[in-house]
Amino acid sequence: MIDQAFFQRLYDLPLSDAIRQNAMAFPLIESLHVLSITLVFGTILIVDLQLVGFCSHRRSALRLSAELLPFTWVAFASAVITGLLMFLSNAVAYINNTEFLVKMGLIVVAGLNMIYFHSTIYRSIAHWDEHPRAPTAARVAGATSLILWTSVIVFGRWIGFTLDMLF
Amino acid sequence: MYISKFGDWLYATPVSTTIRETTWIIPNVQSVHILAIAVVVGSALVTELRLAGVLATDRPVAAVLRRYLPWLKWALLVLLLTGIVLVVAEPGRTLGNALFWTKMALVAGASLVTLQARRRRVTLSEDEGDAGWAIALSWLMLGVWCAVIFCGRFIAYT
Repeated sequence: MIDQAFFQRLYDLPLSDAIRQNAMAFPLIESLHVLSITLVFGTILIVDLQLVGFCSHRRSALRLSAELLPFTWVAFASAVITGLLMFLSNAVAYINNTEFLVKMGLIVVAGLNMIYFHSTIYRSIAHWDEHPRAPTAARVAGATSLILWTSVIVFGRWIGFTLDMLF
Repeated sequence: MYISKFGDWLYATPVSTTIRETTWIIPNVQSVHILAIAVVVGSALVTELRLAGVLATDRPVAAVLRRYLPWLKWALLVLLLTGIVLVVAEPGRTLGNALFWTKMALVAGASLVTLQARRRRVTLSEDEGDAGWAIALSWLMLGVWCAVIFCGRFIAYT
């Protein structure tokens, strides 16, 4: 099912080899990855809790999102880049790791949840933005997002304990 | 010397052995630890950037602090408790490690500033015009939390 040869080629790339050869590279990339995901989760948490009903430092969910989501996106981009680098350094092991595949699946579902939210109840946010209680659909989207991102972090940490270390 | 003997003793205790040998405990406790760090990072980001005059400047400092200080307090408590479990499980990896103690010093300093100096500002009704040093302290605090994360991850490699 999985094209092992393709991932072996990724493993054999000079960049992948450089990360394996330099003892400081992986810990540095991993630290940046952790910093990025704490920023992603920390800012999403504030926005999602606002949707669910725990008000942040302002009433408007729209303004809160505009204020915090730039941080989320920059941190997410950083998490993707550092994640990709870690993946390259041990590509065959990651692609055969169940926890890694579940984590990737959960990120995709979290993205779909976000797209669904933005294409439905979010369109009418002007009507409910300042209300103390968001519509049920928005609260469900927020709660779903919280559960998904929490699971992403848990599965991410489990990768470190289940991965076949090939170097 | 004394610390390494204490570490050896702790390592041999039944509770330390149990945590190590129950395979699901350490990964899940580390997961909770990271989730709690995310709460600290998110809360610190908003409060420190507000204090630096970068974010949410239309909201009073006291109101922003009132929102996030309880989150910071509880997240720091969760970090302490999960951290203790991790140290008990692997005292050799932590107690004898200079990076671990660097991290502890940074956490203690940042927590003290957050829970004491920041809390005091909740009671101020008016925003005082922030001095340059106060803005510098906010950026320093964000830098310290980043350094804490790097130390935490590097403990596993040293």
